[in-house]
Amino acid sequence: MFLTNEEEAMLNGEYGEALEIAISVLVKLGDIYEADRMIEVENAHIDSSSYFIIGESGLNLCEKFVNLGATFKVPATLNPLGIDPHRWQEFRVSKSYVEKQNRLAEAHISLGGIATWTCAPYQYGANLRFGQNVAWGESNAVVSANSVYGARTERLGDLTDICAAVVGKYPRFGLYLNENRRGQVLFKIESDKLDVKSFSYADYAALGFCIGSLAGTRVPVVTEIPKSVTWDQLKDFGAAIATGGSVGLYHIVGVTPEARTLSEACGGLKPEEVISIGVDEINETREKLSTTTEVKADIIVLGCPHYSVEQLKRAAIIVKGKKVVEGVELWIQTSPMAKMLASEMGIIDIIEAAGGKIHISGCFTMYNYAQEWGFGTLMTDSAKNAYYSSGITGVEVVFDDTEKCIEAATRQRS
Amino acid sequence: MIKCHTVINGVAEGEALVTNKPLSLWGGLDPKSGEIIDRRNALSGKNVSGKVLVYPYGVGSCSSSATLLEASRLDKAPCAIVNLETEPIVAVGAILAEKLYGKIIPIVDKPDINPSKVIRTGDRVKVDANKGIIEATIR
Repeated sequence: MFLTNEEEAMLNGEYGEALEIAISVLVKLGDIYEADRMIEVENAHIDSSSYFIIGESGLNLCEKFVNLGATFKVPATLNPLGIDPHRWQEFRVSKSYVEKQNRLAEAHISLGGIATWTCAPYQYGANLRFGQNVAWGESNAVVSANSVYGARTERLGDLTDICAAVVGKYPRFGLYLNENRRGQVLFKIESDKLDVKSFSYADYAALGFCIGSLAGTRVPVVTEIPKSVTWDQLKDFGAAIATGGSVGLYHIVGVTPEARTLSEACGGLKPEEVISIGVDEINETREKLSTTTEVKADIIVLGCPHYSVEQLKRAAIIVKGKKVVEGVELWIQTSPMAKMLASEMGIIDIIEAAGGKIHISGCFTMYNYAQEWGFGTLMTDSAKNAYYSSGITGVEVVFDDTEKCIEAATRQRS
Repeated sequence: MIKCHTVINGVAEGEALVTNKPLSLWGGLDPKSGEIIDRRNALSGKNVSGKVLVYPYGVGSCSSSATLLEASRLDKAPCAIVNLETEPIVAVGAILAEKLYGKIIPIVDKPDINPSKVIRTGDRVKVDANKGIIEATIR
């Protein structure tokens, strides 16, 4: 790929070792994927903030960059810590783990990261514009940035996000290019049989997972989704589509900005394949996301991706006046910013009065909480959480609507 | 012999682990043990260390790069990876493994024949990413 004089100099170590390491990784990647050149990115979202995920190798690299005096060249928001930084003891995280996680968090702050500690920075903390080139990690954030805003980012692997933020650039390939943003597979929702207007968050998550699995590596275009679909529903849909497939971008005709018409979404070409999604597909997906039909959950987790203020409010309305039963935990994951806002609104008090625990910047998949607590069955309204938790934590999983999840947490057992 | 495109250079030989299902290494591979932990995959419970991992493409998480890097650091990584289409996230894991630890994981994709049609789990396979070929050796 073409490199400017400055980029060549960086690669030769003339700007120091940190930039040399960072740009060498990006250039190597760019050469493999036939990038023509590097592009400047306006901001970054760093997915490398959880020690559970990046381990010693990631911690070593981050601390090495700090010691070499590197800093982020562009605004860089940060993903969840995976632990609640203030209440980790309550969540039974081991002290030795917290020490490692704190070192990693400090390294990110030393590099200049913005302490959003959330997987939904597009809702609180980050700024995006249509057509803007950015460098984002975190699969659900990538898909939201590309699809809902029409910003442009590749699906950055952990640690390349650090490299990109330090250099302020990324190789130009994949979703930065117009031709790769074209819709390739058309998914027609059978809206005469499926009451999409009444879809719950879990229905949208199931729909996303189904479409992602069928789309694979191709860009999906979806029709028959109502314009009244909410940001939070798109968030859950996106997280699921990015879990089920290798999807960094989707289009919803009449809803997302690069899809004012079907023709625009497909770049003026015909879609390669047309797939109908009806009642059967949604039901099969919902069943597939559960690993058991026995609803004996001892841990109920909501907020994957992190709940917004609106979702916290909704949960508070459902749980108000109820009590989480003994032997069962109800955890609601959210960002520090959403919690702060919801606190001011009295929402957190309602949830905590019912016995629910707000887990800020936490993530059930980012630490083996199940082992520490002895959990056997997880219940969740998140397709992403349902999909990963059975492997990472060994729990059985029940996937269902938010109301059913809260009911399971508060229903008296016989 | 299967011709393919080089993603990461190198040569490696080992027993094949083959699946038709796309895989997320994050949440699908335990880097500490090398075990496939995606309970919805037929390879669940199998150990990838020193094996040639054959799967169509990566799905899901951006964290798969870190998973591969950690597995490599702990010597639990596959000795080679064969995909229909390698996602940049996985390529990055291998780039970092070489850069930071000098560990080579050859990766190839875009094979002229779908490997899962001619290679079975347990077959011995040689991946020569430098030449862009995959050869099954002893059955």
